[in-house]
Amino acid sequence: MKRTLLTGNGAAAWGVRLAGVDYVPAFPITPQTEIIETIANWIDLGEMDCRMVTLESEHSMITAAGAAAATGVRAFTATSSQGLLYAMEMIYTVAGWRVPFVMVNVSRGLSAPITLEPDHNDILVARDSGFLQIHCATCQEVLDSILMAFRLAEDEQVRLPVIVNMDGFYLSFTREPVEIPDADAVTRFLPPFDPENICFRASAPVSEAVAVLGGPPYSYFRYETHLASLNAVPVFAKIAEEFAQAFGRTYEAVEAYRTDDAELVFVIMGSFATKAKDAVDRLREAGRSVGLLRPRLLRPFPNGDIRRILAGKKGVAVIDQNLSMGMGGVLHSELASALYGQAHAPPVLVSFIGGLGGRDIGPEEFYEMASVTRKAVEDGKAPAPRLLYTEKELREVRKLQAIAQVERENLGQNQ
Amino acid sequence: MSETVFKRMKSLPSAHLLGAGTSLCAGCGGLEALKEIYDILGEKTVIVNAAGCMTLLTIYPFTPFRGSWLYTAMASAPAGAQGIRDALDILLHKGRISPEEDLKVVVLTGDGAAYGMGLSSTSGAIERELDFLYICYDNEGYGNTGQQFSGATPHGARTSTSKGPRGFPGYKKDLFAIWSAHRPSYVATVVGAEALDLARKIEKAAGLKGPRLIIALSPCPTGWSYDPKETVEIGKLAVKTGVWPLKESINGEVVHTKVPHKRLPVEAYLERQGRFAHLFSPQRNKVLLKEIQARVDAYWERVSQPTLL
Amino acid sequence: MYRIRFHGRGGQGMKTASRILGRAFFLEGFEVQDAPRYGAERRGAPMFAYVRASRNTINERGIIRRPDLVVVADDTLVPVSAAGVLQGVTEHTVMLINSNEKPEVWKDRLNISGQVLTMPSVAEKEDRLEPRFISASCAGVAARLVGVISRTSLKQAISAELAHLGAAVVDKNLAGALESYDLMGSHSGSVTPGHEVPAYAYQNPEWIELPFEDARVSAPAIHATATSEKMKTGLWRTMRPVIDYSRCNRCWWVCSTFCPDSAISLDDEGYPQIDYEHCKGCMVCVAQCPSHAIHAIPEQEAEAGTPAGERL
Repeated sequence: MKRTLLTGNGAAAWGVRLAGVDYVPAFPITPQTEIIETIANWIDLGEMDCRMVTLESEHSMITAAGAAAATGVRAFTATSSQGLLYAMEMIYTVAGWRVPFVMVNVSRGLSAPITLEPDHNDILVARDSGFLQIHCATCQEVLDSILMAFRLAEDEQVRLPVIVNMDGFYLSFTREPVEIPDADAVTRFLPPFDPENICFRASAPVSEAVAVLGGPPYSYFRYETHLASLNAVPVFAKIAEEFAQAFGRTYEAVEAYRTDDAELVFVIMGSFATKAKDAVDRLREAGRSVGLLRPRLLRPFPNGDIRRILAGKKGVAVIDQNLSMGMGGVLHSELASALYGQAHAPPVLVSFIGGLGGRDIGPEEFYEMASVTRKAVEDGKAPAPRLLYTEKELREVRKLQAIAQVERENLGQNQ
Repeated sequence: MSETVFKRMKSLPSAHLLGAGTSLCAGCGGLEALKEIYDILGEKTVIVNAAGCMTLLTIYPFTPFRGSWLYTAMASAPAGAQGIRDALDILLHKGRISPEEDLKVVVLTGDGAAYGMGLSSTSGAIERELDFLYICYDNEGYGNTGQQFSGATPHGARTSTSKGPRGFPGYKKDLFAIWSAHRPSYVATVVGAEALDLARKIEKAAGLKGPRLIIALSPCPTGWSYDPKETVEIGKLAVKTGVWPLKESINGEVVHTKVPHKRLPVEAYLERQGRFAHLFSPQRNKVLLKEIQARVDAYWERVSQPTLL
Repeated sequence: MYRIRFHGRGGQGMKTASRILGRAFFLEGFEVQDAPRYGAERRGAPMFAYVRASRNTINERGIIRRPDLVVVADDTLVPVSAAGVLQGVTEHTVMLINSNEKPEVWKDRLNISGQVLTMPSVAEKEDRLEPRFISASCAGVAARLVGVISRTSLKQAISAELAHLGAAVVDKNLAGALESYDLMGSHSGSVTPGHEVPAYAYQNPEWIELPFEDARVSAPAIHATATSEKMKTGLWRTMRPVIDYSRCNRCWWVCSTFCPDSAISLDDEGYPQIDYEHCKGCMVCVAQCPSHAIHAIPEQEAEAGTPAGERL
């Protein structure tokens, strides 16, 4: 065990190395590329007994990862943003193959307009695919989650691919102290993968991922995938407990911070949750009874934990770093769905959209969100969803528009 | 290269490995070719399939295969082959499976995937020198969706998206040349109707390493509109008229394996098929027939000059 | 509401029949639904199409569970359970079968209490080879049986639905269909709209909780080989290839090599054997046999006669 400084990408690469991954089909995309560069370098130096192949697209990359997993090796891959979307046909497809492997997604906003900076719209496109999703808030968590993700994916009660998600820049390119576990301890925690009867061998012919005719068999296969995904809630809890015993770090499906006696609770995913934690501490110092809830598992959605933690709270502020066009924040909808009709569910659920395309969320914004939510509780009515956006930001955009010669008053007149 | 075991028709397999009872059309020229190919490749294979007619070979719980199969998607069957080949190599290298457990990795796609959507993943697989065999059953259109034109549709053919009096205005893409330009180990054209030629080529391909790619012209009674019993005859006419040159390329050197020395006029091939009926009635489209003939003539003219082979 | 199902084989024109009947109803002022339903199978494989017609808006969708009329274009389909010809048939349902056998024979054989009719005036063999003719005739008889479609509307519907095939085809189909329509005059109105099932007397659907089963069982993977042989694609055949062994010269197994369906194997002496359970009837073997030792006979004739094609 050693403690060192690693970026989120570096921590991911260490997770892969320690997991004894056999195969890494790859394709470069910012801000994920450092992961595969690091692994490639270790392979070149003979430090990892692993094969890496650069495919010609993410679509092919996921196909190769799924096919290799279906042949019985431990596979890993990584992507981001547009790459994840380009691969999306195969994301859904390989989940249906019921093959276990792990992928890191480094979240980055989606085009158009094209950007390099993070938000969560990319990963949420994969929400309904059958891939499980673990969302990380620190670089340490990235490394640890990869180890747990292989256990989860390969568990016979699950057998589904898993995405470990981290935010671009805020984690991917940010160094933090990370504890690198001993290889032996990791091997004890994560023994080699046995694919059992799901593999291609001359002695055991199998036709995999075949077509079906009609609704009943299709419904069966799809619903079994859903049931396997649901199983991942208790299986994750078991794995996290073993992980805590082996390495001393505890990861629950939902991270709850100062929620026990809180009246108001922030709900937020990913690395900005640490900023929200800070805000909670400041608000507590100011006498406000506020806590934080962070879903670590997004799929399966930890309904039970969320209902339990939020039971009896007066108000919830959901902060979405994503936008479902024509609907609003995705996490807000998920929360509403989890809480509706539940005994002791918080009466007020306020929706905030922030952090799109790497936009920061400042401490004063958390304080204001707490204030808005408190007022909503008093009014007994949630206000309309709020985009976190300031007068100053719009002024800056106006300056850009001026250079772009978007002369609003002349539009349509100078043809 | 060792001598072929397929010296004459009688040395062709007399028992067939591919199971009967598939849902493919009666008289399917692609299935005929696949059956002949499978007899030679054998059951220690994993066939990686892209979306197309042959996806319906396996419909839960029915499969005609005695070896393995994986359906991927329309664009990425060669990438699926990459994943399986790499995984098998890793398992062999790390001693986790015995060499007897190894499989030949075979990609099976239609022309829609091979000439179009899957070309990028095929190019990548060849460039990475993937050890695999690619079988394209080419029925010259998107057959499984009702025969719309594809990059493989010949000039003038009527398809369900080219129903006009001149048929398909484009020209069949030269996939053999595109593949060959990558310098893979082996590229060949075959047709089920020339079973001996096909058998020798599959035998040769099976004995090589690296990327080996086969285009099987697949007469299609449904999409080409002819009586299913004509499948073999039409396949033979494609060769005899010079429309479908049987050839192979080993490390870039192209050899024609069955040169039709007295080439029949292309009409002999075209007039048997409903998709070309508009070239013959209500009146003969002399201009278009002449153009099609001229292009075939020009091909054979070009390849008869040894320096340009 | 009228609910009518047409059963046939891919290529026999049951989709066209359903469209002709649908349009004929429409021309009579009915609200209409018509649709075909295919599996993955192709020409020759069992398929069905259906028509709903009502004076009111039709909210029902999808397959017809309780047909008022079942039209079977090909009587070899009746015993094929996968074809689903008898699904939902009650004493209320009229069965119309295209068959050379008498209605009473079918009624007995199927042990059903409802009315059974056969297609009139359908001269035997010709029609088997002319599926378009069957489709218009089936629609014509169906139109007469419901008793609410005029001869004029039927005529218009056929002309409209077959227009793309040219005037000659339209005329031929019109003649056959109208003749069938006229011949069934005495049965006009024998098909009546079925009653709706009341919401208070429904049969419980018996839902279950789908149990979790791990991926070794519940992945869409087949751990067996050559299971396709359980599919009896021989049922697709309308013509049967029969080998005349006196002319078979045990050549270099042309028929066996070219059969796309692995349906011709060789026996110990090198004679080909046709697997009729799977032969789809493409007739490639008939066309390719160098000594012309294989000939084609209509399937019904083969079934009626001696077990042709077996080496005696």
